[in-house]
Amino acid sequence: MKILTQLFNQARSHFAEGGLFCRLHPLFAATENFFFAPSARTMNAPFVRDPLDVKRFMSTVIIALVPVLAVSLYCFGLRVLAMIAVSYAVGGMVEVLFAIVRKEEINEGFLVTGLLFPLILPPGLPLWMVGVGVAFGVLVGKELFGGTGRNLFNPALVGRVFLGIAYPVAMSGNWLIPGSWPYGRIFQYASSTTVDAVTTATPLGLAKQGQFAGTFDLFVGLVPGSVGETSAAAILLGGILLLLTRVASWRIVVATLGSFLALETLLFYVLPTPIPPPQWQLLAGGILFGTFFMATDPVTSPATGPAKWAYGIIIGVTVGMIRHLTGYVEGVMFAILLGNIVAPILDEITISLRLRRLRNEK
Amino acid sequence: MKLCGGYDIKMAGRPAVEIESPVEPKELFLPRFSCRFRFSELCIGDGQHVRRGQVLARDPGNHGVPLLAPRDGTAHLDLEKEHIVLRGLSANPPEALETPEAPAHISRELGSVGMKRYKLLTLGAWQYMFTAHNGALPDPFGSPQAVLVSTLRLDPFLARGDIQMKTMLSNFTRGLEQLQSLLEYQPIYLVLPKVATAFAEQVREAVRGYAYIKPVQVPLRYPFDHFKILAKALGLSHDDEHPTWALRVGGILAMDRSLTMSLPCDTKVISIGGSGAIAPTHLTVMPGYPIKELLSARIAAGPVRIINGGALTGQAIGPEQLGIDVECAGLTLLSEHVNREFLGFVRPGSDRRSYSRCFLSALRRPMPERMTTAVRGERRPCVACGFCEEVCPVGIMPHLLHKLIYQNDLDAVERARLDLCIACGLCSFVCPSKIALGEEFRQTAETIRQEHQN
Repeated sequence: MKILTQLFNQARSHFAEGGLFCRLHPLFAATENFFFAPSARTMNAPFVRDPLDVKRFMSTVIIALVPVLAVSLYCFGLRVLAMIAVSYAVGGMVEVLFAIVRKEEINEGFLVTGLLFPLILPPGLPLWMVGVGVAFGVLVGKELFGGTGRNLFNPALVGRVFLGIAYPVAMSGNWLIPGSWPYGRIFQYASSTTVDAVTTATPLGLAKQGQFAGTFDLFVGLVPGSVGETSAAAILLGGILLLLTRVASWRIVVATLGSFLALETLLFYVLPTPIPPPQWQLLAGGILFGTFFMATDPVTSPATGPAKWAYGIIIGVTVGMIRHLTGYVEGVMFAILLGNIVAPILDEITISLRLRRLRNEK
Repeated sequence: MKLCGGYDIKMAGRPAVEIESPVEPKELFLPRFSCRFRFSELCIGDGQHVRRGQVLARDPGNHGVPLLAPRDGTAHLDLEKEHIVLRGLSANPPEALETPEAPAHISRELGSVGMKRYKLLTLGAWQYMFTAHNGALPDPFGSPQAVLVSTLRLDPFLARGDIQMKTMLSNFTRGLEQLQSLLEYQPIYLVLPKVATAFAEQVREAVRGYAYIKPVQVPLRYPFDHFKILAKALGLSHDDEHPTWALRVGGILAMDRSLTMSLPCDTKVISIGGSGAIAPTHLTVMPGYPIKELLSARIAAGPVRIINGGALTGQAIGPEQLGIDVECAGLTLLSEHVNREFLGFVRPGSDRRSYSRCFLSALRRPMPERMTTAVRGERRPCVACGFCEEVCPVGIMPHLLHKLIYQNDLDAVERARLDLCIACGLCSFVCPSKIALGEEFRQTAETIRQEHQN
C-alpha cells in the first residue's frame, strides 16, 4: 500500500496540468481514487458528510447483480464472462475517451451499464455484436446527452434496441438452452454453433403458441432467455438488496409490478385466448430484471415521489399490453424506454404542482 | 405538529452531561463581531479600568445590545484583530447592579413591563432572543404573537438544553415566570423532546401548573429544534408587526438571572465535542475566554479544525479569533481528513453510519460514527437519487434548485422558493454526488438579495 501511494505521488506531476500526460488526467484520477479514498476536505458547513458516495452506490448495484451472474454462469457457461469482458472493454473505452475529451472525471455509472448490458442479451449472441451494441448504447444513450446524470434513456436499453433493430435474426434466435444438473454449462463455452444448445424460442414465445413452461422452472431459471433475466429467484435476491439499501426506489418497483399484475389478472379473465396466469407472467421474461435493475436507474427515472408512481404504472401497463395485445413477445425494453421518455414530463408535472403549493408558504 | 424530513446524525464525540468550570483566565479576548452582532460603538477608552458588568461596546444596528465586561480589569483595544482585551483580571463575586433608568418614553408607554425589558437589554439577557422566522434580534419593546422556548439542541455539538436544566430546573421555571411577566396574553410554547425519560417527566411536571405554557413535543431529529420549523409546525405565521420570539434554555436562565437577581449575564454554558476533542464536555465560560487555553488539554493530536457552532451549521474559526464570542453555544472539533482509506468503497462498512443503508452498519443498532472533515467521495453530477428532497425539513427540492442554479435561472430559483431554505446543511450532508448544495444556495441567495437591492 505504501508503495502504491509512493507510485501515485511520483506519477501525479506527469498527469497534472502541463505534464507529459496531462490529457490522460481523468484516467489517472480514476485509478488513484479507485485505490484510495479522495483527499478532499470540506471547506464550508456542513463540515461532516455522509459516507455514501456514487462509487458505493454503484458497487451496491453490482453486488446485487452477483446472484444473477452466478445463475447465468451456471446456465449459459463461460460465454457470459466473455460477453461481460467485451462489454466492459468497449464501453469503458468510449467512456474514457469522452472523459478525456471533456476533461471530466470518469464516472462509475459505466461499471453498472457495462454489466447490465450483456445481461439483457441472448446468451448466444456473437461477441462483436456485444461490442457494437455497448458502444452505441454508451455513445448515443449517454455521452451525447452529456454523460452520467444527464442522459435521458437507459444506455444499456438503447444499445439493446439498436441491436434488436440492426440484427433482428441474431437477437431473436440465439437463445441457449440452460445446462442441466449438476454442472450446468459452468465449464463449457457454449455458443450459437454448439450443437443441441440453441433454441429459437423463449417461454414467452412458446406461450404465444399455447405452450406454457413450468412455473418452478421459471422461478429457478431453467429456461432459455436473456443472460440475466431467466432466474426470478436470483433477481429477487438482488432486487430485495437494492430495496433494502434504498438504491432502488420501492415506489417504482411496487408501482411497476403492482400495475403489471393487476393488468395481467384482468387480461387473464378477459382475453378470449388462454394466457398463462399472472404469477407465471411475472416470472417469465424480463419484467423482474427490468423493474429492479433498469427501471429504477435514478438518472433516467423521475426524481419526485408521485412521478415515480406514475412512471412505474406506465411501465407495468405497457409491458402487459405489448405482451398480449401486439405481435411482440416481450415488451419490457420498450416499456422502460417509454417510461424514460415520459419521466421528465412526469417530473415537470409534480414539480409544477409542488411549486404551486410552495408559492403560498410563508 | 407537521414536521417533514430531518435526519438524526449520530456523531462520535458527544459532550458529557456534566458541566465543568474551567480555571479563571488571566486575560479575556472579547471578539467584537459574532454571527449576529457587530459591537462597533465603543464605550470605553484604551487602558481604561472597567468593572464587571460595565458596557464595553454596543451594537447600534441591533437595538444597542451591549458587550459587557465579564470581569474587573483593564481594557485594551486590539483594533487590528477586532478584539477587546481585558488584562489584570480580578475575580470579584458578581454584585447586583443598579439598573440604569429606562428612557422616559419606554416607561411611559410600557410601564413596568418596559422597565423589565430594558433591564434585560442592559444586563445582556436580550442577546439570547431570536425572531423565529429569520433568526434576527427582535425589538425588545415590540409585541410578539407568541414565544417559543426550545429545550432542544440537535446540531452536533452545541450545549444541550436538558443538561443546563438539570442543574437549574428551579431557575428555569422562575425564568419562565419572568418571561410571562413580560407578555400580555401571548402563549409560551415550551418545546420538549418526545422522549420518555424520568427527567423529561420531571420537567413536564414542573411546568404543569402554568396555564400560559403550552408544552409541545418534538422528535429528537435534526433540525427540528430550528425556530423557523417549530414556528411553522405550530402554525405561527410570519408577521413583521407581531413576530414570534424564540429562545432557548440559556435565554430563560439569563432572564432569571437578570430579572430575579439583577445580575449581568456574563457566563453561559457551551459544549466542546467532536472527533477531535479529548473528553468532550460542557463548560461554563464567559465571553472572551481564550480559545487556546480552553482547548489546550482538550484538543486531540494531529490537525484539528475548530468550528464555532455545530458541525452542520457552524463556522470554521482560524487563529485570528482569540476568544469565545458572545453568541457561541459550542465548539466542535473535527479531526482533519488525513489518511486516505485503501479500497474504501468495497469495505463492508459496519463502522459507518449512513443515511442510505448501503453499508453493513444498517444491520446493527445505530451507533455514533467518528467523522472527520473528509468529503468522502468525489464530486459527481447529480444522479437524482432524491435523498436531498427526503431529508429537507422545509419541503423544497434541493435537486431542482441545483439544476436551476446550474442553468443560472434566478427567477425560477426564486419561484422554487430558495428563500424557505434554513441552511440546515442536511442536503449537502446526504448527497452521494458530494455536491455542496448548502454553499451553492447560500451564494445564490446572496446574489438574489443583491439584485433586489439594485
